Amino acid sequence: MVVTHRTVDGIDVIALAGRLVMADVPQVRQRLLETVERGGGKLILDLAEVGFMDSSGLSVLVSTFKAARLKDGEVVLLHPSPTVRSLIELTRLQQIFSIFDDENMALNRLR
Amino acid sequence: MAVTRTISLAIESRPECIELLSSAVNGLCRLTALPATDIAQIELAMVEAVNNAVEHAYHGEPGHAVMVEFRLAPDRFTLLVRDRGDPMEPGKLGAPVSVAKLNEADPETWPLRGRGLAIIKSCMDSVEYHVCNGENTLTMNRLLRGTGSGPA
Repeated sequence: MVVTHRTVDGIDVIALAGRLVMADVPQVRQRLLETVERGGGKLILDLAEVGFMDSSGLSVLVSTFKAARLKDGEVVLLHPSPTVRSLIELTRLQQIFSIFDDENMALNRLR
Repeated sequence: MAVTRTISLAIESRPECIELLSSAVNGLCRLTALPATDIAQIELAMVEAVNNAVEHAYHGEPGHAVMVEFRLAPDRFTLLVRDRGDPMEPGKLGAPVSVAKLNEADPETWPLRGRGLAIIKSCMDSVEYHVCNGENTLTMNRLLRGTGSGPA
């Protein structure tokens, strides 16, 4: 899994590319938690290039959001693929994650 | 005469080996008329089942075997995931699928784990679990309905 990071107006934007499955979880979780720890706790996760995710990948998203909440922050999801979006909805995680298909709207949510 | 075609694969109980099975199930599903969305569901169910074998039956310990048997019949695609680790808690599979309502304001209500079986049951038409002579087998069926459709 490829993880890229940039910052827009103090908001962390992390793009994931590849498969987010059990084998990738330790590396990705560490990277995301470090970003939340070092930043302001406001994070956009760009999932456009994540073609497949399992429940261990979902656990990474949830643990990152929990860490962000400890800093009064939030994690939002940006353009997940239909496959990933259906997994999120199946597990009802859209109840806690805001999902956007436009980065500016995601940024406005966190500003 | 219609026959059931079968192939069996085995991996070591390491997370990085699971992708090999994903590639296999994708290729085998392309022998059916199932659309890509259905194939993704079958792959997800298999990955969750193998994850459970690696993580729960073998407690993340490498060096054990996880076997997957793929059966392609005219009317169904069946996957059997076998391990010889600790069996699943009795009754766990049969328990009603309940995905708890999450309270957005309270992160304590956001579980990190425990979604795998619910995902498997929602992706497949039927799921059974048997333990026999120290071998645990999770059997998952997906009916083939012409051009394909989601599980009933």
